[in-house]
Amino acid sequence: MKFIPREIKTNVNISPTSPVKDFFELVIKILGFILVIYVGLGFAVDYIAPRISTNTELRLGKLFSARFEKKERTPAELQLQQILDELVKKSQGLPPFNYKVYLEESKDVEALALPGGNIVVLSALLKEVDSRNALAMVLAHELGHFYHRDHLRGLGRSLVFLLISSTLLGSDSSASKVVTNAVTNAEMRFSQVQEKAADLYALDLLNKTYGNVAGTTDFFEKMLRKEKLWSFFYIFASHPYPASRITAIKENIKLKGYVIGQKIPLAVEIQEVSSKK
Amino acid sequence: MGDLIYLIILIGVGYFIGTLVEKKHYKSIEEREAKLLYLPAVSSENLLEEKMVNEAHLVYGNAVISTDYFKFILAGLRNLLGGEVCAFETLLDRARREAILRLKEKAQGADIILNLRVETCQISQVGSIEVLAYGTAVYYKK
Repeated sequence: MKFIPREIKTNVNISPTSPVKDFFELVIKILGFILVIYVGLGFAVDYIAPRISTNTELRLGKLFSARFEKKERTPAELQLQQILDELVKKSQGLPPFNYKVYLEESKDVEALALPGGNIVVLSALLKEVDSRNALAMVLAHELGHFYHRDHLRGLGRSLVFLLISSTLLGSDSSASKVVTNAVTNAEMRFSQVQEKAADLYALDLLNKTYGNVAGTTDFFEKMLRKEKLWSFFYIFASHPYPASRITAIKENIKLKGYVIGQKIPLAVEIQEVSSKK
Repeated sequence: MGDLIYLIILIGVGYFIGTLVEKKHYKSIEEREAKLLYLPAVSSENLLEEKMVNEAHLVYGNAVISTDYFKFILAGLRNLLGGEVCAFETLLDRARREAILRLKEKAQGADIILNLRVETCQISQVGSIEVLAYGTAVYYKK
């Protein structure tokens, strides 16, 4: 047998498919798969959230409130707590928690409803309210979230989704972080309807507590003046555009025949915080 | 969003640099293969023709080739769904051919390489692979 050297021009060991095409095909397939899971989870969470027992929620709440409980309560916090207690006393159908409000230093104008009846008010928000009623509206709005159990719904899907992406891709991978960020944003956008429902709950509660609805739109009007230019970006935000909230609240005031009445000024302790730079 | 941009940049850089390196490597492989074409390397344990053997010894060549970020991600995505991991095909092909070339370069002046064996293993988690080729270089009596 004689060896005859021969050059082989073709390579059967390499697939002819382009790797770029392969990449995009895979990305589209996996995104589709994730979307199906995500939508499925949405239904699952909507089903589970109203069925989570108060005990389970209290346990969840402890995870969140642990970092606030350590600090001593400031005079402003006690004032906020007083307003909240007034509202809770007059409310109906709220889950039986020990509702607590905490004040956190922050430049963001935001208040959060965390599991277990914990409300966190970020200090910059106090600069935007000028009466006890307007502040009560914000707190009552958060109570509205507890009433509708939105806080669990939003949290539920993010938590489960984070679990899935970290299992598939590893919790430290940057891909996993991208997924988490994207999901959290989508989740917030989804809750605009819930924000409006919470507004209306707050309106009814304020009327019950103070016998009038003075100052209910103050906070949103102030935000509207500040963020007029940004209306376009509100499709991406967690809260609906202030103007549409004001309209919805005013329509409801008219519909239910609520009296507008007199505003109550803010307590000195809170004014001190809000005047700080 | 920052993370996503970071990821896209990494994949993009991985793709362009990876492709460039791969093309250069293939060019070198093809040139050297053509040069060493005269030296047969076969898996047979016996001589192909009746010759008197003067000398025979072990020769080996090994190559470690690493993947690029684009291929790494592509293979990772493929891992989720299953199927052929085309991303690593060129990687293995290059390593295999490079290892055999180095083996041939080690066997300078030999007439044939018998009993050629090729083995592979993974070097690290990120996707470097090693291919080891070994065989017996046989020198005929002239």
